[in-house]
Amino acid sequence: MASKSESQVQGKAEAAPPGEIETLLGEVLEGLSPEISSARGAVSVKVPPDRLKEAAERLKAAGFDHVKAVTGIDRPDSGEIELVYHVSSYLDPRLSKWIVALRTTLPRDNPETPSLYDVWPSVKYHEMEQREMLGIHFSGHPDPRSLLLPESYEGVPPLRKDFKVKVEGINA
Amino acid sequence: MMGLLEWILDLLLSPWLFVPLIYPGLISAFAVLLFIIWFERKLAAKVQLRYGPLYVLKRLGGAIQLVADLLRYLFAEPIVPDQADRLAFIFGPILLFASSYIAAIAIPISYDFYAFRSEISLLVVLGLNTLAPAFNLVIGWGSNNKFGLIGGLREGFLITADEIPMFVSALAMAVLYGTMDLVRMVELQSEWLWGIALNPLAAVTFFVLMLLSTSRFPFEIVEAESEIVMGPFTEYSGILYGLTMGASYVKLYVLSLLFAILFLGGWEPLPPLEFPGSWLILPGAVLFLKALVIMCLSVFMRAVYPRYRIDQALRLAWHYLFPASILSVFLSLLVLSGWSI
Amino acid sequence: MSEEEHVLELLIGPQHPASGHMRLVAKVDGDVVVSLRPDIGYVHRTVEKLAETKNYIQIIPLIERPPLADTANHNLGYVLALERLLGIEAPPRAQWLRTLLAEMTRIHSHFYGLGIHGIMLGSSTAFMWAFWDREIMIELAQRLTGARLTYSYMIPGGVRRDLPPGFEDEMDKALRYLERRIPDYHKIFFDNPVTRARLEGVGVLRREDAIRLGIVGPNLRASGVPYDVRKVDPYCAYPELDFNVVTREEGDSLARMMVRVGEIRESINMIRQILKKMPDGPILEERYLKMIPPKWKEWMAQHRRIKLPAALISLRPPKGEAVARVEAARGEAVYYIVSDGSPKPYRFRVVSPSIRNVVLFEHLIRNCRVADIPAIYGSLDYFPPEADR
Repeated sequence: MASKSESQVQGKAEAAPPGEIETLLGEVLEGLSPEISSARGAVSVKVPPDRLKEAAERLKAAGFDHVKAVTGIDRPDSGEIELVYHVSSYLDPRLSKWIVALRTTLPRDNPETPSLYDVWPSVKYHEMEQREMLGIHFSGHPDPRSLLLPESYEGVPPLRKDFKVKVEGINA
Repeated sequence: MMGLLEWILDLLLSPWLFVPLIYPGLISAFAVLLFIIWFERKLAAKVQLRYGPLYVLKRLGGAIQLVADLLRYLFAEPIVPDQADRLAFIFGPILLFASSYIAAIAIPISYDFYAFRSEISLLVVLGLNTLAPAFNLVIGWGSNNKFGLIGGLREGFLITADEIPMFVSALAMAVLYGTMDLVRMVELQSEWLWGIALNPLAAVTFFVLMLLSTSRFPFEIVEAESEIVMGPFTEYSGILYGLTMGASYVKLYVLSLLFAILFLGGWEPLPPLEFPGSWLILPGAVLFLKALVIMCLSVFMRAVYPRYRIDQALRLAWHYLFPASILSVFLSLLVLSGWSI
Repeated sequence: MSEEEHVLELLIGPQHPASGHMRLVAKVDGDVVVSLRPDIGYVHRTVEKLAETKNYIQIIPLIERPPLADTANHNLGYVLALERLLGIEAPPRAQWLRTLLAEMTRIHSHFYGLGIHGIMLGSSTAFMWAFWDREIMIELAQRLTGARLTYSYMIPGGVRRDLPPGFEDEMDKALRYLERRIPDYHKIFFDNPVTRARLEGVGVLRREDAIRLGIVGPNLRASGVPYDVRKVDPYCAYPELDFNVVTREEGDSLARMMVRVGEIRESINMIRQILKKMPDGPILEERYLKMIPPKWKEWMAQHRRIKLPAALISLRPPKGEAVARVEAARGEAVYYIVSDGSPKPYRFRVVSPSIRNVVLFEHLIRNCRVADIPAIYGSLDYFPPEADR
C-alpha cells in the first residue's frame, strides 16, 4: 500500500514533468529578470518590485486567473518586507496543478507597491489585510478601509516582527 | 346574598356584556392566545424532531408555558427608547391589541345570542378588523428605528393588498346568501349547504388572505426576523412587546370565527344534547371548535413554509388573489342562478 | 429629492439575528438594496500572529477554532503543509483515515450551512432538521476522535486514533439514514415552492465573475467552474476514490444550495468506498513510531491510538517554506508556512475559504430586495470567524 501513496506523489510529477512549469514561467516572464526556483512541489518567481505589476499582467495573460493568497513576510534582519502572491488557475488544468508564488521584496521603512487589483480583482481583501497587518501601502487600491483591525488602531502593524505578543500566564 | 349573585350572573350572561368580555371577546381571546401559541410551538416541534415547551407543567407537555411567558412579560420592564415618540410608542401596542379583538363584538354565537344583530354585521366585523394594521404603521414610525420603519411600511403595503381582496371574497358570500347578517347566513347554511361547498374559491382565497393579513407563514413578512429583526416591534420589551406579539394571534382568532360562520356553517350542526345552559354553551362550543381548527391549520404553516419576499406576496395578492376573489363573486352568482333553476 | 434623501443606510449587525459576527452596511432605496459593504473583523483572533508564538504542534488546535464546523479539513490543510516542510508523509492507513474524517466533516458542515440558510429564509423546519442530522456525523466523529468538533485528529506523520471497533456498522447505518433523509429535505425545503421563489434567479454569480473574484468551493462550482482541489491537486486518498465534482450552471442561490446537497451525496459514497478499501497498517510515520518505547506500543495497540512522541512536540522543520491547499467544506483553504529552522513558524498564513468569498457580499447583494440579503448570505455558507481568523 505504501507504494500507492508514493505513486500519488509521483502522479503529480508525471502530469507536469519537472521543469515544464519553470520553462513556461521563464518564457512568460522573459525580460523581467525573474528568479525562478522550485522546492517541495512549489514554484516561486522573484521579480524586482518595479516589475511586479508587469509580471502580474503577463501571468494573467498566460492563464493564471486568480490569486489564492497575498502574504507579506517581515524580515527586519535584511530590512525588507517580502511580498508573495500565490497565483493559480481555475480554468487551465495544466496550470491548476501548480501554485506559483510571485514574490518581490520591498524596503521595510517605506513599503510601497502598486496594487494588483487592476490585474487580479481577487487580491482585494488580501491586500487590505496585508496593508493593515504589515503596513504595506498598495497604491491604487480601491478600498481605503481597514479590514480586520478597528479603524482606530494605531501603532506597529501587528504582523511586523517588532510587534511583540504579550503572553499571559503559562505558555502551555 | 343569593339575589346579588344571581344579579351578577344575569349581568354577566347578558349578551352585551358576555360577548365583548367573555366569549368571543376578551377572556376567550386570551385563553385562545395562550393555547394557540403553545400549540403552534408544540406542533412545529413535533415536525422538527424536538420537544417544544415542556418544563412548565411537564405532565401536560408544558401546556402553561405561555402563562409563564405572560408573567415574565408582565414583570419585565417595558423600555421606552429616548428617541421614540412616547405617545405612539406606548399607546400603539395597546390600541393594536384592542383593535385586533374589537371586531369580535359583532360576531354572534347562536341564533339568539349576540351583542347586537344588524343587517350589516359582516361589514362591521370586516371594517373593525381593518383598524389594527394602521397601528402597526404608527408603532413602526413611533419607535424611531430603521427596522421598525421598514416593518411599518411593509405593513402599509400589505394592508391594501390583503384587505381589499378579503372584503371582496367575504362579500361574495354575502351575494350568495343575499344578506350581510351573520345570523341569517348560518341559518341559510343549515338549510342549504356549508359555504365552503357552495363557493370553495371564496373559502380558499379568504383563508390565504387570512394568513397574509395576520402575518402567518409563508407571509410572515412584517416581522421577518432574519431581515428586519422584528419589524415594527424591534424596540419593544416587556408587556408592550407581549401585546404586539399577541395582536396578530387575536386577529387570527377573530378572522377564524368569521371564517367558521361564513364557510363552515357557524354553530351548525348542533349536537342534540340537553343540559342546563346548553342553549348558550353548545352553539358557542361548536363555533369555537371550528375556529380553533382553522387557527391550528394556520399556525401549522410555520412548520411547512419559509417566507415570501414582500414583492412576491404583493404580486400574489394583486395578481392572483384579487382576481380570484372577483371570480368568486361570479361563482356565487352562478351558484345562485343554478339554485333558482 | 436628492439621492441622499431617499437612500437609507441600514446597519445589519453585529447585533442582528441573521448577521452573524459581522456587519453589513446596506444602502437601501425603498425595498431595493443599492449597495452593500461587508464590515468584518469582529471575531478576528490573530491566528497568524499567535501562531508565531507557538510550537508547530500547538497550532493544530489553534487553526481549528476559526472554521468551527469544518475543523478537520483545516487541520488537514495545515498538517499537509507542515509535512511538506518536514519532508515526511503519513502511512497509507493514516491517509485514508484522514480522508474519512475530512468527508464526515464535509457532510456535517454542509448540513450546518443548509440549516442556517433555512432559518434565514424563515424555514425553521429545515434549520432544526439539518442541525439534527448534522449531529449523526458529529456523534460518529466523536467515536473516532474523542471530540465533537475540535478533533485535532491529524498530526504530522499520521493520525491520533485508529477506527474504533464496530465503527463500520454504525457508519453504514448512519449513511443509510442520511440517504433516506435527503428526499424529506427535498419535500419540505429544496422543492418547496416558497424556497424556489426565494432562491431561483436570486444573487446570480456569473462564471467569469466567479473566476475574476477568486471565489472558491461550492459557490464557484455552482457557477459552472469544475474546480475542486480533490481532483486538481489530489491529496490523501482522493486519487483512489471514485467521485464526481458537483457543478451547476445557473450560479444563483438555489444552485449554490443544491451543489452542497450534491456534495453530501458524493461524500456519502466516498465514505462507503473508504471503509471498504481502507488498507491495514500503522497510523503514524515510521520514524516517529520508532521513538515510542515498547511498553507504550503495547498500550497503543490495545487502545488503537497514538501516544505522542516527544519529537512531535518540539518539531523543528528545516529552513524553508511550504504551501498546501485542501478542499475544505466551504472551499479551498491555503496554508503557507515559512520556517526559519526554529520550533516556531516564522510566518504563518491561513487563507480560509470565507475570506476569499467575502467579496461576494458587495458583488451579489446589489440591486436586489432587502429580503434577498439573508437569502444570498445563507447561500454563500459564509462563516464570519473563518474569514476573520
